[in-house]
Amino acid sequence: MKRRLLLGALGVGGALVVGWGFLPPRSRLGGVDTMPAARAQVPLNGWIAIADDGGVLLAMARSEMGQGVHTALAMLAAEELDVPLDRVRLVQAGTDTLYGNVAMFTASLPLHPRDTEAGRETALATGGQWVVSKIARELGLSVTGGSSSVIDAWDVLPLAAATARAQLVNAAALLWRLPASELRVDAGVVSHASGPRAHYGELARSAAATPPGRVQRKPPSRWKLIGTSAPRIDAAAKSDGAAVFGIDVRPPGLVFAAVRHCPMIGGSPGAVDVDAAMRLPDVERVVHLGSYAGSTPALAVVARSSWHAQRGADALRVAWQPPPTGALDSAVIEADLLATAHDASRSGRGFVFHQRGDVDAADRAAARRMEAVYRAPYVAHAPMEPVNCTARVADGMVEVWAATQVPGLARAVAARAAGVREEHVTVHVTYLGGGFGRRLEAEVVGQAVRVALETGGRPVQLLWSREEDLGHDVYRPAGAAVLSSSLDARGRPLSLRITSAGDAITPRWMERVLPALAGPVDTPDKTASEGLYDQPYGIPHQRIAHVATRHGVPIGFWRSVGHSHHAFFAESFIDELAHASGEDPVAFRLALLDDAPRHKAVLRLAAQKADWPGHGSPRTLPAGVARGVALHESFGSIVAQVAEVSLVDGRPRVHRVVCAADVGTVVNPGIVAQQMEGAIVFALSAALHGRIDIVDGVVRQTNFPSYPLVRLAESPVVETWLVESTRPPGGVGEPGTPPLAPAVANALFALTGKRLRELPLVVPA
Amino acid sequence: MELVVNGEARQVPDELADPALPLLWALRDVWGLTGTKYACGVGACGACTVHVDGEAIRACITPLASLAGKRVVTIEALGTAAQRHALQDAWVAQQVPQCGYCQSGMLMAAAALLAANPHPTDPDIDAAMTNLCRCGTYPRVRAAIHAAAGAMPASATKPSAPKRT
Repeated sequence: MKRRLLLGALGVGGALVVGWGFLPPRSRLGGVDTMPAARAQVPLNGWIAIADDGGVLLAMARSEMGQGVHTALAMLAAEELDVPLDRVRLVQAGTDTLYGNVAMFTASLPLHPRDTEAGRETALATGGQWVVSKIARELGLSVTGGSSSVIDAWDVLPLAAATARAQLVNAAALLWRLPASELRVDAGVVSHASGPRAHYGELARSAAATPPGRVQRKPPSRWKLIGTSAPRIDAAAKSDGAAVFGIDVRPPGLVFAAVRHCPMIGGSPGAVDVDAAMRLPDVERVVHLGSYAGSTPALAVVARSSWHAQRGADALRVAWQPPPTGALDSAVIEADLLATAHDASRSGRGFVFHQRGDVDAADRAAARRMEAVYRAPYVAHAPMEPVNCTARVADGMVEVWAATQVPGLARAVAARAAGVREEHVTVHVTYLGGGFGRRLEAEVVGQAVRVALETGGRPVQLLWSREEDLGHDVYRPAGAAVLSSSLDARGRPLSLRITSAGDAITPRWMERVLPALAGPVDTPDKTASEGLYDQPYGIPHQRIAHVATRHGVPIGFWRSVGHSHHAFFAESFIDELAHASGEDPVAFRLALLDDAPRHKAVLRLAAQKADWPGHGSPRTLPAGVARGVALHESFGSIVAQVAEVSLVDGRPRVHRVVCAADVGTVVNPGIVAQQMEGAIVFALSAALHGRIDIVDGVVRQTNFPSYPLVRLAESPVVETWLVESTRPPGGVGEPGTPPLAPAVANALFALTGKRLRELPLVVPA
Repeated sequence: MELVVNGEARQVPDELADPALPLLWALRDVWGLTGTKYACGVGACGACTVHVDGEAIRACITPLASLAGKRVVTIEALGTAAQRHALQDAWVAQQVPQCGYCQSGMLMAAAALLAANPHPTDPDIDAAMTNLCRCGTYPRVRAAIHAAAGAMPASATKPSAPKRT
């Protein structure tokens, strides 16, 4: 089955790329016409322009949602151009495919990390990545996600900045009739020891007509900015109320809309009585909203403020119609996932993501066998800024202001909703009040544009209440897995079998936002098995399979995606094996990592800094506190965490998390530490509280009281340690999330002797 | 009715005057003071925290009708461009904000705390800072409050300066 599907996929991909292979590679430097530059600004390529005052403009194609990407990318440009960070100004990138994210798509292939490890790449892995990078480059989708922004920019942005610098320096050399090699650049000023000096603004116009010559990036030994904890460029605006999020745009004449979806996911409004709503002061109209990019049909109420609109929505009398496919029930789905995983683990059904050795032979030779079943529920994103979009439709032109991770897809959805060509849509990307994958969706853009068609050219801001947000999210899918292992007489694992069941995320997302490219098959969707099939451990016989189910609950990408719950499954089970072998959990893992030196180093570092027994300094924990450890690779980075946990009133309390990470080359260690802290708190809310229940088609959790998040008083002290590395950067925004839940669960086992195999972690009384 | 917002007398336009209209929406949708945020609408998250006569309150559940003659201060007037509040400086120095959406409310809650208790202990901070943050800025919020208070008690937790090996 695996072979046939892979050959089929390669056949289709191969047909697409015939011909491309003979074309010269498309440069991602970009032409000056793609750079959004104003007067008094000289574009030098698709990424960099120089202002007359010598300032640098950087085309920003990635969304700032807290992960620090604006600062990190500005640092890459400032480094190569030799300007201080505060001389770099951001300008939103245009719609050219130049700004598409290639790295996110190449990372979506279900390859095993050891098949892509530098120096050990297999031909299939390299070929597959080449094909996908070609397709992604042609597609040119501007997406912020998959912890891929710096990875994607690393081969592009520094080169664009270095090229611009070379043009500026060469222009000065021609002007002064001096060899370029004798010129120096300091803070955006080019000078020669003999006296001449000029800032970039004075050289920009000549530079635009000067070839760069042979361009080389700075060697790391000359970095001044990369590797420093430069302050975030958005910190000041985010501490005085000046930062503009989607919900904050105020174009003249703005009116406000509230939305009320059918409470039953996928249902729709039947008969609607709008009289009570229309009688309210300041309510001006009610608009029927169809389904946009996968949304549940809804009604929108337009008024003079968001509050008046919300009151209008409350006053609607609607005979809601259940979905034709029947009402969803998460308890039924979770039971089905469990049964499916069990059945498939016995029958061998499912798509095999990874296989090595001979698991059957290993099982026959085993001295002992372990089997465990793990489960995870649906969870919601709940970014602090609720889902919203502002739109204006006038004279056949559409303007959209959106806190979005997908401006290009938002533009396409807006064009479809308004019935105009995409060229007639402008999307302004604001700051995002949290993303976590929620804003990879574009339904709210369609809804806002639909309402804006009715408001006579006035802009409208459509805002979901928190209740609508929790009730109509694209949830992290529920999942179940059966894990088993055969151990030899000395307790070493010979085999690892994992059979998981759950809905596939990527195909559902494609159907919503890229319907033209959505295919008929759900496998192999990497997200369904990531964190399970890609284990670093040297267990000689493995078979990791997944059954793709289709339960109909809208699901989406949730910070760290499949890794988030799969790390809990896998790293808890590894801990079970360690205890079954009578081994220390750190020592047990280290013994399986001879072929994974980077993982070994990260785990050792975490153990040492956490004073794990036998590592670091001897430090006994207070009575009632226990440690747990977990190690996980995701998005090209490796993270180990040691959690110190106790029980307070019977509930888990995490006091401290020591986090060690190998994220490759570190652009800004301060931001990496911030992201590790943030990922740990995000993961802790899910580990302790996160679950979405759907009963009779309706989500039961309605707001933060019933969907609790960790507060300051419950948040742990976090200590982050980074491994020095010269590799290209790995991801940063997500990799801190997966290890937290298993580290806490493993600590709870050490504390109570009770193994928790279901999220959220509830300690039985 | 009239109230004083950031030192300025403000009127609610008659056509919008509804005694139940929460302060949050008057700030945001009537007067354009968008620094104060909506995130839950039920007083559960604190993103809408402002000061009324110096007390931290949640504007999403505070009806305008209850505020006649009161002095309201929002994030826009916590400091000025020339003189930022000590907490705002600490927020930047400790690199607190990530997405930033909840930070206005965090800062207003912290400012009310420091006004009442210039040297809060960790338990004081735990009790006062009940605002929700999805990005997990909590350890740095704590550190920034201690830093702004001027003296870090020995027991204080602080965010890890990232360490390299």
